[in-house]
Amino acid sequence: MATIDLGKHGAHGSAPVNDDRPYHERYQAAHHFVDREHEFDAVKMGVWLFLSTEVLLFSGMFVAYAIFRMMYPDAFLSGSAHLDYRWGLLNTVVLLLSSYTVAAAVRHAQTGNQKWLQINIILTFIAGLIFLTIKGVFEYYKKYSEGLLPGKFYSYPYAENVPYEPLWWGIYWGATGIHASHVIVGMGLFAWLYVRSRKRHFGPGHYNAVEGVGLYWHIVDIVWIFLFPMLYLIH
Amino acid sequence: MTSQAQPHAEHFDAHGHKDHGHTIVSVATLRTVLALLLFFTLLTVGATLVEVWIADTFNVLIPQWVNVFVALSIAAVKTVIVVMFFMQLKYDNPLNTMIFVFTLLTVCFFLGFTVLDLGNRGTIDRFKEGHILRGGTGLGTGMPITQSSKIAAVTNQTYDEHLAHHAHHGPRLPITEAGYVSKVPLAGSSAQRSKPVQGITLEGLSVPAAQTEDEHGEGPAH
Repeated sequence: MATIDLGKHGAHGSAPVNDDRPYHERYQAAHHFVDREHEFDAVKMGVWLFLSTEVLLFSGMFVAYAIFRMMYPDAFLSGSAHLDYRWGLLNTVVLLLSSYTVAAAVRHAQTGNQKWLQINIILTFIAGLIFLTIKGVFEYYKKYSEGLLPGKFYSYPYAENVPYEPLWWGIYWGATGIHASHVIVGMGLFAWLYVRSRKRHFGPGHYNAVEGVGLYWHIVDIVWIFLFPMLYLIH
Repeated sequence: MTSQAQPHAEHFDAHGHKDHGHTIVSVATLRTVLALLLFFTLLTVGATLVEVWIADTFNVLIPQWVNVFVALSIAAVKTVIVVMFFMQLKYDNPLNTMIFVFTLLTVCFFLGFTVLDLGNRGTIDRFKEGHILRGGTGLGTGMPITQSSKIAAVTNQTYDEHLAHHAHHGPRLPITEAGYVSKVPLAGSSAQRSKPVQGITLEGLSVPAAQTEDEHGEGPAH
């Protein structure tokens, strides 16, 4: 593996006033950090701490899933039978590809390849859009029109007499809804990254934001890696 | 002013803080990881399809935990790959790995104790298993839930007082079976079965609405 030297440009206020170097080269770490390396590590650990709270947020839903599946396995079987695993599979592939483009974006930021950094950010944004489109058009809208909704909103006319199926739909809509909202937030972050990358904010010396958003996107991907078999592949 | 001029920077480096720069993961590694992830995705779908096929063709009942175990194992492998290479924990400060591992450990506690609780209710608390009261607590009946559910069990003929006290006269039963008339299906909901809650319609345990209406109905007749 190649490595890059970040250098120690931590001397504050030493940059000349008329510095026409790109932003990522003349970037100065915040004054409470020793240097950019120090700042990078702190930012990264902060992101990891945030990600651990995200994992705990989703773990609440996984525990709810475990409780209700153990109590009402029939309801989960018949509820899951309404889902087409092929849409779930397609969305999994879309998210995995987007995880790759994010990792590539980080790599291009590290090597200072501005063009491919921007392309990969756009590709990731598009992948998020495709994911939400598939989810919304082929799954959410269909389930909504059929009345396959959580709790008291459940109004499926051809219920196969399985009690507690509305509970399954509560889990389904809750878990995938919170996941989808994370995808939406991620797309907003990638739009922000794109604007900044156009201004050449990211390069070998400074790519904290690309790294942080990338880590967030990977966690969203990992959550889907678990949601896919738990929701679609029950039998 | 260079970093060498700063005492903090020297202190930093002296403690082995990485001054060798950041790892750039090679394109080959990233592509291999992507290929592996796609492979495992197809594998998890394939495992499910094969399982369904086996169950249908040979007419066998595969327990649910097989499905869950296979799916979660493959998902765990995928997660490890993503975390190590895409999220670069393999090349990162070990402290970040510690944060993530302890988070996962916490999640395991959450899930583990939940499964332990629900999965064993039927074994260690058989007495209450079939008789979860509507509303769950049995409050308002003026007696402990164990007592009210026992009354319900006797009334529903799923519990035999005599057998319970003289189990040693009959065939040897596990302690959890003692007193239960095994041929009568347990009423109500349980952690293991998906059945609607029947509730308890014992007199004295609740105030039936019908009774109150009857009393009112008799009123005009007087």
